[in-house]
Amino acid sequence: MTVLVRRLLVLPPALLAASVLVFALPRLTGADTVRTVLRTRTADAVPDPAMQSRVAAEFGLDGSAAEQYLRWLAAAVRGDLGLSFVTRTPVAAQVGEALLVSMLLAVLALLLALLFGIPAGVYAGRRPGGLLDRVVTGAGIVGVSVPEFVIAPVLVLVFAVQAAAVPAIGWGTPAHLVLPVVTLAVYPAALATQLIRAETVAVLRRPHVRTARAKGLPPGWVLWRHGARLATTSVLSLSGMFVAALIGGSVVVEVIFGIPGLGRLLYDAVLAQDLPVIQAGTLTVIAIALIAGVLSEAAQLALDPVAR
Amino acid sequence: MFSPARLRLTAAAALLLVLSACSGGASPTASSANGEITVAMQFPPRSAYAFDADDGALLMTLGVAETLTTVDANAQPTAGLATAWEKTSDPKTWRFTLRQGVTFHDGTPLTPDAVVTALTYITGVTAPPRSVRDTGLTVKADGADAVTISTAQPDPTLPLRMSSGNLGILAPSAYVAGKQPTVLRTATGPYVLTSISGADSAVLERNETYWGTKPATGKVTVRYVTDPQSRALALQSGDVQFAEGLPHASVEQVKAAGAEVVSYPAARTVELLLNQSAKPFSDLKVRQAVTAAIDRNVLATQVLGGAAASAADLFGPAVPWGVKTPPPAADPATAKRLLAEAGHSSLTVRLWTFPNRPEMPVLATAVQSMLGEAGIKVEVTVGDYSAQEPKVLAGDFDMFLNSRSYLSDFADAASVLTSDYTCKGSYNIDHFCSAEFDRLVAGLSTTSDVGARQKIFADAAAMLTEQAVGVMIVHPNNTAGSRGVTGFVPDPLGVRPVLPHLEPAG
Repeated sequence: MTVLVRRLLVLPPALLAASVLVFALPRLTGADTVRTVLRTRTADAVPDPAMQSRVAAEFGLDGSAAEQYLRWLAAAVRGDLGLSFVTRTPVAAQVGEALLVSMLLAVLALLLALLFGIPAGVYAGRRPGGLLDRVVTGAGIVGVSVPEFVIAPVLVLVFAVQAAAVPAIGWGTPAHLVLPVVTLAVYPAALATQLIRAETVAVLRRPHVRTARAKGLPPGWVLWRHGARLATTSVLSLSGMFVAALIGGSVVVEVIFGIPGLGRLLYDAVLAQDLPVIQAGTLTVIAIALIAGVLSEAAQLALDPVAR
Repeated sequence: MFSPARLRLTAAAALLLVLSACSGGASPTASSANGEITVAMQFPPRSAYAFDADDGALLMTLGVAETLTTVDANAQPTAGLATAWEKTSDPKTWRFTLRQGVTFHDGTPLTPDAVVTALTYITGVTAPPRSVRDTGLTVKADGADAVTISTAQPDPTLPLRMSSGNLGILAPSAYVAGKQPTVLRTATGPYVLTSISGADSAVLERNETYWGTKPATGKVTVRYVTDPQSRALALQSGDVQFAEGLPHASVEQVKAAGAEVVSYPAARTVELLLNQSAKPFSDLKVRQAVTAAIDRNVLATQVLGGAAASAADLFGPAVPWGVKTPPPAADPATAKRLLAEAGHSSLTVRLWTFPNRPEMPVLATAVQSMLGEAGIKVEVTVGDYSAQEPKVLAGDFDMFLNSRSYLSDFADAASVLTSDYTCKGSYNIDHFCSAEFDRLVAGLSTTSDVGARQKIFADAAAMLTEQAVGVMIVHPNNTAGSRGVTGFVPDPLGVRPVLPHLEPAG
């Protein structure tokens, strides 16, 4: 418990440090935000300086960088993340809506990954070197190696274009979830399979498993009660991190499938120099990763008596 | 440089292309059979459908919003929400007679006061769009069926200016002080915008009380799909019945799936700008040598595979005054001779461009090779446009490969000619300065006849060609595909409605 409290106490300063980075990084690129955004409004290649000053004031981009940061931080602490430079709508609502979409995708992808990865890893680890082990290990290596931008088009062409079984793009119905969730699930499923397989091989060699077998307990019982339970602990404790990584890394999937999630929101925001969205979106992803780290640690402590 | 995310997306696009070459396509879906269609549009609303942004033009394309005037195929102003217009005795004022029997989507009638509210709003925003900025535009009701529109100086283009997408007219209920006007059920067009899902999608329903020809399609779901390969696949799979901006390389696969694909010119030019504020391009002969060394026909047909037309002039086939004939083939011998006459046996120059448009790095490499044949060594740098712009505007460059739309606001080229090529132009990258050219362009401020203006545009472009101000490389083409719908009418000018013409096939 003390460990967890210590971790929780680290969160506020870590978030504050992250906020400095998130604020500074887009500005270090040297891009002229006011000019970029003004182009979308006036279709003018070179806006006049007076207008630039007016718009800079409207955006809160006047004054020194430190002043701008403190203004932004004070507003953020009050829950006001500002207005998008581009859409002129509240950033908090935009990020919130997009986050829900990405969370749904990530959680479903993780569930699918565990649903496949746990039994595949456990059964592969039961007989190392066997046919099933070789097949699962080979598939795992492929799954870890093949990136999403390869998997997504293959799935679209097979299941949307050829079979016409599910939509190719879009969002709004359960059918729209199928291809993106499967695409996102491949990597964590393959990773989970490999981790669980390795853990299962190690756990099944431990003395307590040998004792259980010697007592004449059924093989299935020994495998799942004494072996797989321990083997899956580490993977389950990593699930929180998986979700955080999936949310932050779903840009490609969300753009290819036209999904209004956080990854696509951030991608568009970076292209448009929409600083409030970049700041709020990135900070949200960082916060999720930090919180997921603490939760993962809590899960590990709860599941693994040795760690406690 | 490419970001990792963009690299991954580019790789995905390439893979899609390869895979789709190996596939046919699903049978068309029945979604168009009941009078409903789904379309994939290339550009999402960038600013929540704000009229002071490019989104006004998007609302026109969708068939939601309308302006006082529109344009015909010859880029002449024609009736929109106004049926007639005339100059008053005051040369700075025009009188527009409003169309009778028009109602907004909220049921209220189109009145002179409604027009005053709409146009007054757009002139008063923090950053007024270029179509009205610095014009001193004011609007007044004039009787029960007309408005008068005045500008600080006589404006010969006012009827044409009124066709700009920025100047759509919404119902008075749309305008609430301090807020962006709402576009849901407040416009006048053939489609009613009934719901919006951010920059992801929107739903349009037929305006049953529309003053003109009603669309054949009852309901349109608009999906904004920014990835070009995803748009092509959506058309192939039958998810959408119409998609604009198809990648040229996937056209054959889309056709194989049963779609009809139309390629049409865009009002855009890829131009190789040459810095005339410094050597070596301050010398006309060197600029002419560069022009002679580049084979624009090869660049269009072979390097870009027909995704663009070779450019003989600043203006291309998208506009009535553009040159339709191809440019001459390359002549390396003449290029070498001109270089020698200019005192150069060899030359090393820098060429900058940016990757935001995928054809730019490809063209830069091909141009580098062609100029190499003529003895001009080119060092190509592909970088971020935002970082390059201050340097090129300051004249700290040799060659800059740029892509420029020459009709930013409405079907008139005065703006681009002034900003890009006059001595005091705000976007005069190549630092071309000619009193004769400036005089010619200045004549536009007193020329109201559209035909006469178009003649000046053509003459100005010819002067730029003669002076080898830059090398106009290609005019990119737009593409659009339909499957299960008919009636698509290309709009190279980008100011007229597209979706209302689409109707379910059969």
